[in-house]
Amino acid sequence: MDKLDLVQLQRQLSHQGILMSFSGPFSHSIIEELGHAVKNYLEDASLARSSLMDVFAIYIEQAQNVRNYIKRWEQHPDHAQLRHSGIVVIAHDDGRYIVSSGNLIDRADAPGLVAHLEHLSGLDKAELKALQRRQMREPLTAAGGGGLGLIEMARKSSGPLLYTLTDIDDRFAFFSLSVTI
Amino acid sequence: MEDLIIEATRSSPEIRFDAAARCLMLRGESYPENAAAFYAPVFAWVQALLDALQPGESVEVELEIGYLNSSSTKVILNLLDLLDLAARNGASIRVTWRYDPQNETALECGEDFSEELTAVEFRLVELEARP
Repeated sequence: MDKLDLVQLQRQLSHQGILMSFSGPFSHSIIEELGHAVKNYLEDASLARSSLMDVFAIYIEQAQNVRNYIKRWEQHPDHAQLRHSGIVVIAHDDGRYIVSSGNLIDRADAPGLVAHLEHLSGLDKAELKALQRRQMREPLTAAGGGGLGLIEMARKSSGPLLYTLTDIDDRFAFFSLSVTI
Repeated sequence: MEDLIIEATRSSPEIRFDAAARCLMLRGESYPENAAAFYAPVFAWVQALLDALQPGESVEVELEIGYLNSSSTKVILNLLDLLDLAARNGASIRVTWRYDPQNETALECGEDFSEELTAVEFRLVELEARP
């Protein structure tokens, strides 16, 4: 492994407009703590309350999605590398805020996820709202997911949800999602 | 019936149930790790309250929730459905949704809930401006 160069890493984060990031094993308390820091930062930046809450909401949905997905694999012996793969990043660029997150996923989960995202990107705001109303009536899954997070993000996003899927090996792909507010 | 008091955390609201007044109050933000588990005692309490409700008695619900994550939204809607069902069967139930006028998302969330309900009296009330 190359020697860790924090100067270079910090420069790169700053160059990309990254305000905050977390990479590593997600816990609920880390999600809370980072969320608190995000809010404080945006309050100091005098961001309008509704935009602040949108950035915060998207951060929470993304971080909890990463955590919930990874949690499903906690007991799985072959999925140790997946457990530490989570990352969430909040960046500022030209007056907009960009909330991104990523984690390894089992390649078997990729087609369903992509189909869902493609479906959402074909809907306008009114259709997204109608879908959200229907989905609100669906029961929570055992993992605690409601299937609402991505719909909410699509409603708040100023453009379509951007995602990437990069095959890592036979088993895993890295999924990333980026939402601009 | 016992009162129920749960203090707020960063990711879960303060909960106060006054059994004598038949009043339920939730205040804070809601994005707990497991929304279904967090709200389970609230469901149990509301169900017990509704079961014991006598003709002529009313129920007051005060919600002041600045942020709900998506799974909390679902759980709160289920709770409101429970109240709405009781209201359809003749109970007098009033829900007040209090929101910061600068927090558009909180207002929209209250509006979304009110669209889902048919029989409870649902009021949207602006909070006083913050200092």
